[in-house]
Amino acid sequence: MSKVLGIDLGTSISKMATIVQGEPKCLESREGSVLVPSVVALTKNNERLVGILAERQAITNPKNTFHSVKRFIGRRYSDPEVQKELKLLSYETRKRADGGVEIKFGDKWAAPIEISAMVLQKLKLDAEEKLGGKVPAAVITCPANFDDSQRKATKAAGEIAGFKVLRIINEPTAAALAYGFGKKANQRIIVYDFGGGTFDVSILNTAPDTLEVIATGGEPHLGGRDVDQRIINWVVDQYKKEEGIDLAKDPLALQRLKEASEKAKIELSSAQETEINLPFITSDSSGPKHLLYKLSRPQFENLIRDLIDRSINRIATTIDEAKLTKSDIGEVVLVGGTSLIPAVKEAVKNFFGKEPNKSINPEEVVAMGAAIQAEILRAKEEGRAPEGDIKSVLLLDVMPLSLGIETLGGVNTVMLNKNTTIPTAKTQIFSTAADSQTSVEINVLQGERPLAQDNRSLGRFILDGIPPAPRGMPQVEVAFDIDANGILTVTAKDKATSRTQSIRIEGSVGLSKEEVEKMKREAELHAEEDKKKRESIEVKNQADSLVYLAEKSLRDAGDKISADIKKEIEDKIAELKKVKEGDNIEEIKAKTSELSQTIQKIGAQMYQQSQPGAGKKEGPDTEEGKYKEK
Amino acid sequence: MKEKQNESLNDKKIEDLERQKNEYLNSWKRERADFLNYKKDEAERMNGMVIFIGGAVAMKILPILDNLEIIEQKIPEDLKKDENVKGILQVRKQISELLKSLKVIEIKAIGKKFDPNFHEAAGEESKEGIEPGIVIEEIKKGYLLDGKVLRPAKVKISK
Repeated sequence: MSKVLGIDLGTSISKMATIVQGEPKCLESREGSVLVPSVVALTKNNERLVGILAERQAITNPKNTFHSVKRFIGRRYSDPEVQKELKLLSYETRKRADGGVEIKFGDKWAAPIEISAMVLQKLKLDAEEKLGGKVPAAVITCPANFDDSQRKATKAAGEIAGFKVLRIINEPTAAALAYGFGKKANQRIIVYDFGGGTFDVSILNTAPDTLEVIATGGEPHLGGRDVDQRIINWVVDQYKKEEGIDLAKDPLALQRLKEASEKAKIELSSAQETEINLPFITSDSSGPKHLLYKLSRPQFENLIRDLIDRSINRIATTIDEAKLTKSDIGEVVLVGGTSLIPAVKEAVKNFFGKEPNKSINPEEVVAMGAAIQAEILRAKEEGRAPEGDIKSVLLLDVMPLSLGIETLGGVNTVMLNKNTTIPTAKTQIFSTAADSQTSVEINVLQGERPLAQDNRSLGRFILDGIPPAPRGMPQVEVAFDIDANGILTVTAKDKATSRTQSIRIEGSVGLSKEEVEKMKREAELHAEEDKKKRESIEVKNQADSLVYLAEKSLRDAGDKISADIKKEIEDKIAELKKVKEGDNIEEIKAKTSELSQTIQKIGAQMYQQSQPGAGKKEGPDTEEGKYKEK
Repeated sequence: MKEKQNESLNDKKIEDLERQKNEYLNSWKRERADFLNYKKDEAERMNGMVIFIGGAVAMKILPILDNLEIIEQKIPEDLKKDENVKGILQVRKQISELLKSLKVIEIKAIGKKFDPNFHEAAGEESKEGIEPGIVIEEIKKGYLLDGKVLRPAKVKISK
């Protein structure tokens, strides 16, 4: 069984993924990054550099650093769009004899496919080094709007790189595959791909086992770089207004500002506010100047609002062109680094009125989908089941809801969390809540709510014959065991007597999908109030334990403590007992803390009495004796 | 006759069950082995993770150090002799030490031949007496994490 690669060959960045233990996983390059710049360079010593290394030397070698080659692959030199793109390049190009584009590569001329092949070859070598074996085959992705000639050229690039190209698939199709779409027929999926330099939107239609692209739209020059530029422009404008200095004219300052802007953009994806802090950014006749601006998320969103709107308008046009309406769209998938910006996610969500799919890293999702496709095709060729399919042979279920037991105060104490893979087992020790309690009732619960009464009771049983003992002393071991068929056995065992009682719950562990969803929804809905209720019970339980401890300590101390301390503690106990009946949590907490402070006096007084001169003789065997200062 | 038929049916059943048993046993062994291997991999991954987290922390600290270095460069020499300023600049040393403890080591760039494995070119300049392709100025220091490039040094090179 050989390894396969899924490759997202991007205009500016490429990524690769393979299948590891049945799951798609992106691979890092030798330089340690999943994101590999689609850049090739030929140095003055005729050394070929690919990826990040090529990018690092680009500024000193512009004529022989080749980027954005994907924009020319399989296209005609005379194409007006190609002509427009050519003007943006730092390297030399010309018309090839067959009408395509040719690139000056050192002292010879190369076709765009040769340069793309160098990127693919690097990915192949890096993957082989990482995986420790040959990676002979790959699936490569291309934009949905690539024509036949561009697809053929992409395939040829793969073959030059030494791959057996199993298939060229559309980038949006790969993203949809990564999410496992395409199994249901007649579903329409929108893939919103907002990358570093390009924006694409595609509409897919599913038929059993196929995904067909029915419409595409986008903008060839709209992406994360524009977002960064907006922040830079904002800072430059502010600074000009306040200090009268144009930072854009100072290359060193601009370089620092570029880095700080990208960092600010990333930080604003999780934080509400960020700081752009650049001391000694420049200087004038008065001396050094510093830069310190705060940028809030709403401010940032205003800066890029029109870029987001442009992308949303593109979706609307594409849906129109496909003669569909928003309501026809079943699923929305987010792709590309720029779609990590919260305002972008929000805009897509608001446009469709539904949550887009974003659980798979949008920067990696295309390569991952390509890897899934590659594994399926390769397995077919080798006459085996695809690696990820092992799950369909040995299907391991997960528990849809948590299982637990009811404990003191009606709390649901979870034993097995939801989403645990079964078969599984767990054991935990519990104890009694009252002195001389000789039996415990085990109430088996299913659900996510913290209070027992809000969950489903699967069954209950009583373990009796526990020898009378103070509360907290007996050890009752409760074991949950759920087998591969979902049959739950709950056993309770008194460790002192080994008396055992158990219950076997069949069938009822499994609920219909609707029931499970309903219970999960309810748990979410009541999360806040449940938290409060649970806290209230915990505070009361704590108070209860302390009252018990205080009373016990008083009994144990007997007449070793003075009457006034005894009275003080008894009063505090009475006060706590009184507030415990009510629902004022803060008051219970306060009284608990007071009692806890007061009972320390028992110990303090008893130790005092044991000190020399306090009536107790010092002896070498006492603890005090051992630790006495010499 | 019937007995024989039954016997052969039983044999077939036994054979089937045996095959099934072996299949299950082997799958189980495989699963156990996978799990044990996974645990080993996980331990290795955790080690890598510790270094990686150190790197991630370092990446957050580096911009502060960068700024302190710029401050140190820009402060006029006579001011640098002031004890108060000296004290403040001592913090830079403290941060450098902290990074070393996270296995983050500075890349020496000045005077070296430009190497994209460790350096990122930010500009070119002709400089008398220096052959082309040599790092002549460090705009931002580069760092290695456990021997691998954490951040390349941003440099100016001779033309």
